[in-house]
Amino acid sequence: MTEAPGVERSQAIGIATAGRPPLRLVPILERRSTIGDFERISVYGASLIVAALISISLLAVAGVAPSALGSEIATVAFSSPRALGSVLAQTAPFLIAGLATAIAFRANFWNIGLEGQMIFGAICASVVAIYDIGPEWLRLPLMMIAAAVGGMLWIAGPGYLKLKIGVSEVITTLLLNYVAFNLLLNQLYGPWQDPVSRFPHTEAYDTAERMPFLGWENLSWALPFAVVLMLGLWWVYSMSRFGYLTDLMRSNREMARAVGVPVVGLSIAAILGSGAVGGLTGFAITAGVEGRMTQDFFTGYLFAGVLIAFLGRNHPLGVAAFAIFMAILLLVGQSLQVFFQVPFSLVQLIQAIFIVCVAGSQFFLTYRMHWRGAA
Amino acid sequence: MAAALALKDVTKVFGGFRALDRISFSATAGEVHALLGENGAGKSTLMNIASGIYTPDEGHIEIDGTPVVLKGARDAALRGVGMVHQHFKLVRSFSVLDNLRLFNPQTAPSALSDRAKSLAAQMGFNIDLARTVGTLGVAEQQRVEILKVLVAGAQIVILDEPTAVLSDEEGNALMALVRSLADAGNAVVLVTHKLNEALFHSDRITVIRSGRKIVGTIPSETDAKRLTTDIVGEYLVEEPALSAAAGSVRLGLVEVQQPGSDGRKGLRGASFNARGGEIYGVAGVAGNGQDELADVLSGMAAPEAGKIEIAGAGDVAADGPDARRRHGVATIPVDRYRQGLAGGMSVADNLAVRGALAGRYGGWSRFDRRAARKRAAELVESFEIQGVRSLGQRSALLSGGNAQKLVLAREFEGDPSIVVAHSPTRGLDVRASAAVHGRLRKARDRGAAVVVISEDLDEIMLLSDRIGVLSGGRITAEFSAPADRAAIGQAMVGHD
Repeated sequence: MTEAPGVERSQAIGIATAGRPPLRLVPILERRSTIGDFERISVYGASLIVAALISISLLAVAGVAPSALGSEIATVAFSSPRALGSVLAQTAPFLIAGLATAIAFRANFWNIGLEGQMIFGAICASVVAIYDIGPEWLRLPLMMIAAAVGGMLWIAGPGYLKLKIGVSEVITTLLLNYVAFNLLLNQLYGPWQDPVSRFPHTEAYDTAERMPFLGWENLSWALPFAVVLMLGLWWVYSMSRFGYLTDLMRSNREMARAVGVPVVGLSIAAILGSGAVGGLTGFAITAGVEGRMTQDFFTGYLFAGVLIAFLGRNHPLGVAAFAIFMAILLLVGQSLQVFFQVPFSLVQLIQAIFIVCVAGSQFFLTYRMHWRGAA
Repeated sequence: MAAALALKDVTKVFGGFRALDRISFSATAGEVHALLGENGAGKSTLMNIASGIYTPDEGHIEIDGTPVVLKGARDAALRGVGMVHQHFKLVRSFSVLDNLRLFNPQTAPSALSDRAKSLAAQMGFNIDLARTVGTLGVAEQQRVEILKVLVAGAQIVILDEPTAVLSDEEGNALMALVRSLADAGNAVVLVTHKLNEALFHSDRITVIRSGRKIVGTIPSETDAKRLTTDIVGEYLVEEPALSAAAGSVRLGLVEVQQPGSDGRKGLRGASFNARGGEIYGVAGVAGNGQDELADVLSGMAAPEAGKIEIAGAGDVAADGPDARRRHGVATIPVDRYRQGLAGGMSVADNLAVRGALAGRYGGWSRFDRRAARKRAAELVESFEIQGVRSLGQRSALLSGGNAQKLVLAREFEGDPSIVVAHSPTRGLDVRASAAVHGRLRKARDRGAAVVVISEDLDEIMLLSDRIGVLSGGRITAEFSAPADRAAIGQAMVGHD
């Protein structure tokens, strides 16, 4: 949005000191009436810098000198096409997961069930793959549709309960993760166990059931798929009536309903959309990365999705930026673990520091602080 | 005798805007001092300085003749200045006693409870201190606020627009309490924009306008006309203007029933007709079904029984707000910040929603922000919405009058054929009220059926072509303008 900055410029009222005793300064908070894009981005950027500085200090205490950290990041992420390829390969599922979460969050539906939707989506896709449903050339699209439908089915229950009788979706979506996980184990230790290796994962998908490689490094079509999805959502939220009304509904649902916005329809669309993309996240990992459904392919994506959506402010472009950031953090973390014996929990701590700093910066978006003299 | 509270030559500047310009004000023990002015005149700012929330840029404060520097609200409270804010500062999930304790952390709970009980008894306020604040009515919550500052030892009690949220009855009861507070030796400052409160319930009146003191007087030396001129800076009195021609019935209610929330009576078979080209005023004492009537008319609630007929559309009782609006209904809700505005969204986005739904800015896949913004700029201009520094400004920051103008601008776009307005001028000053009334009359003159629900009988008398009295959830009497005020008043309390 390109809003004219009708910003009330900070009027730090000068503390007249001439000829008076020195004054004690007290902080005065004023609610901002409006905030321009520049200030918004500055505050946000400052919070990221603060988080980075804290993280660097922590790592220094843990024995990773800032210079070593710098060269580690350069090596792991940018030193070679292969390194860059690894980052991008990891970015794709993070991006889809972040988008799935952001769609729901943007409509004030706290979908904490991404992993459940990933699992059930992947199970539905696996049905198509394992039982060879449809002709080969149509197999992958069918798997994709099955995954999206599976994700929608998995979120439909919580969505219905929320809209009909106001049951908290945080609880229902979260608990359904465990249901999906047990269903997954049931399949992998039961009928779908790999007949060749007897390991608890499905048989390897056929070539026609995997996302083809791009032909550059180890990247599959999962990445372009994620990017197209991201661009589509960016367009929806910034250019369409759907996006505008969703934002209005998020700001004040009761008002939106009163002025005739079809809030139930918009909510259903957002909830199902989030579930569908959640199912596609599962599909992107099984068919795009692993080539089969394993018992832990989904691990960590729920938290990563929430984190990426939150840090990216539910904005598709922000989500994309933080999906890359998370991918680098993950790979650097793994490398630090190996070469510096840094515990992996430190990586999680760094993630948490970023969340806390960005969440804290909200305060400065709402208030302006200035110092005022008091006797 | 020195004034209990005196502000001397106080100036306060916000971002280049002079909210207060060398104002002096004082309140003496035993008196009620009314501070009058329009929204935005600086009344609240002045009192926020008196209660330590803001520090003055220039000038100083004296309490009992001694210059003081207030370090904050708590410091002011310790020096005996207690402010009762327009928006209550109570924790709704706490008991009354816990709220009192929160404000008086130093006092032992048992002593606090004893003091609260004796003060409540003096106030004539019969309250169970163990009750949860959220279960109390608005008037009772306000009394808890007053009790809170008295328990803290306030001898200077500042009430900021205390009757804005109260019905007439509750307001009168509060005024009696205000007088008893003064009689008990407190200095009471009554911040208000209602002339009658100043004229009939105060000992001294100070009028401020645009941050300057305009006049200091006593009630016996002034009258409503002079005060109005002082407040708005020009002579401004609204006169009734009746409909030129009422048309056919646009909206009809037949035996509508709707239970009230929180155990109130709600609607019990309300029936009336509103015609095109007339303003139908629904008068009544608060709590007789006003909120439920507004909800079933706007479609926010589907009535339990009965019909709501719109000419050309038939019975729309089961339709939600979106379908109602397609039948030409516009709604001006009672709580403009909760139902009228998306506070976190910009002024432009708030103005665009009806146009967007009507497809003016593209289909579902498109939202032409540029066109929406252009239209918003036109509406801000033609509805004279002030305080909009930019169209991107968050709408929650508009003052009451301008927020209401924004709601009107949006609702009157697309020329609605039926307008439902619930207490459209509640909390607005004279000038903003006149503007809102003007818009309602304009809609009527264009041929719309306008239903105004208001607990303010003056407003009903001023606006309505016909008046229905809502009592016990039914329309128990109807009058045509010019109507006899006494007869309406009788009908309002006559039934149950």
